[in-house]
Amino acid sequence: MAVFLQSLISGVLIGGVYALIGIGLTLIFGVMRVVNFAHGDIMMVGMYLTYLLFTLMGIDPFVSVLISFPLMFLFGGFLQKVFINRVLNAVAQNQILLTIGLGLIMSNTVMLIFTSDYKILTTSYSSSTIQVGGGVSVSVPLLVSFLITAAITAALGWFLLKTDTGQAIRATAQDRDAAQLMGINVSRMSVIAFGLGAALAGTAGALISPTYYIFPQVGSTFTLKAFVITVLGGMGSVVGATLGGILIGVTESMSAVYISSGWKDVVVFVLFLLVLLFKPSGLMGKSRT
Amino acid sequence: MTKTILKAAIGLLFLAALLVIPRYVESPYALHMMILLFLSVSQGQSWNILGGYAGQYSVGHAAYFGVGAYTTMMLMYSRQVVPWVGVWVGVAIVIVVALVIGSICFRLRGPYFVLASIAVAEIMRLSAINLTTLTNGAEGILATEIPAFKIGGRVITDFLTKVPFYYIGLFLALFTIAITYWVQHSKLGYYFQAIREDQDAAHSLGIHITAYKNIGLVISAVLTSLAGAFYGIYVGFVDPPTVLGLDVSVQIMLICIIGGMGTIWGPVLGSLLLVPLSEALRSNMITEGLVKIGFVSADSRIGLFLKENLAHAHVLLYGILVVLVILFMPDGLMGFIKKLAPRRNREAV
Amino acid sequence: MAILEIKSVSKFFGGLAANSDVSFSVEEGTIMGLIGPNGAGKTTLFNCITGYYPPSKGEVIFDGRRMNGLQPDKVCMLGMVRTWQKVRPLAKLSVIDNVMVGALARTSSLKHARELAMEQLKVVRLEHRVDLLAGGLPIGERKKLEVARALATQPKLLLLDEVMGGLNPAESEEIIQLILDIKQRGLTQMVIEHDMKAIMRISDRIVVLTSGEKLTEGTPQEVVSNQDVIDAYLGESHA
Repeated sequence: MAVFLQSLISGVLIGGVYALIGIGLTLIFGVMRVVNFAHGDIMMVGMYLTYLLFTLMGIDPFVSVLISFPLMFLFGGFLQKVFINRVLNAVAQNQILLTIGLGLIMSNTVMLIFTSDYKILTTSYSSSTIQVGGGVSVSVPLLVSFLITAAITAALGWFLLKTDTGQAIRATAQDRDAAQLMGINVSRMSVIAFGLGAALAGTAGALISPTYYIFPQVGSTFTLKAFVITVLGGMGSVVGATLGGILIGVTESMSAVYISSGWKDVVVFVLFLLVLLFKPSGLMGKSRT
Repeated sequence: MTKTILKAAIGLLFLAALLVIPRYVESPYALHMMILLFLSVSQGQSWNILGGYAGQYSVGHAAYFGVGAYTTMMLMYSRQVVPWVGVWVGVAIVIVVALVIGSICFRLRGPYFVLASIAVAEIMRLSAINLTTLTNGAEGILATEIPAFKIGGRVITDFLTKVPFYYIGLFLALFTIAITYWVQHSKLGYYFQAIREDQDAAHSLGIHITAYKNIGLVISAVLTSLAGAFYGIYVGFVDPPTVLGLDVSVQIMLICIIGGMGTIWGPVLGSLLLVPLSEALRSNMITEGLVKIGFVSADSRIGLFLKENLAHAHVLLYGILVVLVILFMPDGLMGFIKKLAPRRNREAV
Repeated sequence: MAILEIKSVSKFFGGLAANSDVSFSVEEGTIMGLIGPNGAGKTTLFNCITGYYPPSKGEVIFDGRRMNGLQPDKVCMLGMVRTWQKVRPLAKLSVIDNVMVGALARTSSLKHARELAMEQLKVVRLEHRVDLLAGGLPIGERKKLEVARALATQPKLLLLDEVMGGLNPAESEEIIQLILDIKQRGLTQMVIEHDMKAIMRISDRIVVLTSGEKLTEGTPQEVVSNQDVIDAYLGESHA
């Protein structure tokens, strides 16, 4: 029972960070209908940014979110303006290829600069835990990152629901043409959405950097996970992505405990294929027929 | 008419040249380059049939490449099965795998199909890492000694030089080109392209969409697995990232996309561009060149940096090329050439 | 003899009925017109007949065979083929290749398919466009290409979904002549059309749909003089 509770808790905590990556992806897809295959690599850039801020300036990874969030926002906006914007009306396959190419450029540029060695960001609390009784403990960095995630998700929800810009973004996501006719600056919304998506991914990268190996190729696994999450939650749904993230976190930690840690990703991908097959609109999404 | 004859003559001349190259070229490095070129052509051509003609962008072709490579290597390593038998076991397995993947992935369209194809390849890669008793896990399989190929007791080749690999590679490349030619000039090719252009319209014209997609996938997968088996035997080593990684899938796709999808010569052009470029980077030729022309000095910080890092930069190059191709010539090099050609003709008139 | 029988066909999307309880039959060798205001469920009915949607209720009997649940490719092989309201050319293929894709439903030889395709291109008078890319044709010619491609599958029943939509009067007239030509060859046709004058000229019988239901059915004269039709449909454009 303690083992079960333990893996459930760590699953939910890591799932929160996954949710952040998923929300970023779903936001981009919602507003632009572009499937961003560079998403994990953007997260990886966020990890290295955090690593740099920590090693060069001694800024704590959790504090560095304050710096990396706006920087990654600008980076995302730049990517959208310079590259993505040009393929908005191209076939989906070309959009996918473009983002794959951008991802390769990011991971390999980082590899040129930092080599492909695994970097570890060790903080004083990296391996500290809190006992919550019954033999169950909670990792401090995971707990803190979960709380930050929750705060960011709440802030994002408020932004999308309550602010004018947020509403304009949602309108664009619902119907691009109609939004344009209503005088919404659709291309500006796209830049903001991509910026936000990148910022969220970068933040996720910052949040997991105290507990995860940092290396240039780390992104591709996360890109795939982000897809699994958004497909589970229904493409374009922020609430769905949050739940999907937690579901994947729990599935992973459960299968690591009850099957083996080597197979946990396989379990996730098999789950993904099953959902694609039997409920392609996502667990949360409405079925089309 | 004379044009066709001229074309055929040039083709035959090229073929003859390719056949006699190993007689006159002794440099193992030059032969190695040619072998890589052949491998690349067969990979690109295999993907072309499914991706270029039928329009199903698989980003998971590493699955078939890897299964072909692994099966042949595993059989040779642990069961002493000669590779020219093992290859066909690999093909049989790949057909089964492809049909399973097809039955899952072809119910999905567009980005979902791409995602599913990646997920399947990743499942394969992770399985290869985890099924250690079968695959030797992350360490991979090293098997460099290939038994001599004999017919009736006579040794045809003992695989000690690169020459036999050259001819096998050449045959494989020509074979995949021939298959593509056959596809393009048959009902299959018409149906594939109809599916690529408009699935619903194709469906209304009597085309069984799923059946034809599966046919395309099986042809493509079998050819890819042959290329994989060839790669495994030639290099003598396979491990999960080099034959089953996402990079492998992307690279297979790139050959075709850069050269031009849905054309017979696209993958050939793509290979002619990509293979020399990435080899030049890998072997540090570019850095040496820059040093030679005095652009950087060999001992300067930049020189050392380039020497150390450019060797790993070929994937970066792929990334840059994809971005450039998608933004500036979405129909690949072939499309670019075709666009230039009529302009020239018009000017001539 | 009726080649197509629609028996109480209904199609629901969620709770909404796009077609409810529609019944009629099409006699061999005739042209059946299908009219109705926008959203009356005409294209949905085409989709139900040709296998794109399974009907929620009712039966589609074609050539004595129950078609429910058959996929579009099977429907085509059995001799029923449709064109699309929004044309769907295979853009990167040439005109002749487009039509050959249709002809390949009946032959596996490219040479034979090419001959069959040429015949159909002559029927629709596109023989001067053979080697152009289908994506580059103007709308009028694309519509003709769709008809040629459908004809190349050698159907017994041709379903045309607004082939005159978006065409100028001269182009529409050409299509009308084409439809009458095709009738001369003994082919049965079912035609969705908005152009009332055109549909009155070509149809032997007309079915009127409103809000997914059959309002009435009859010869063009009967339909134009039907008070319900005038109220529900014609009234709309005459008002």
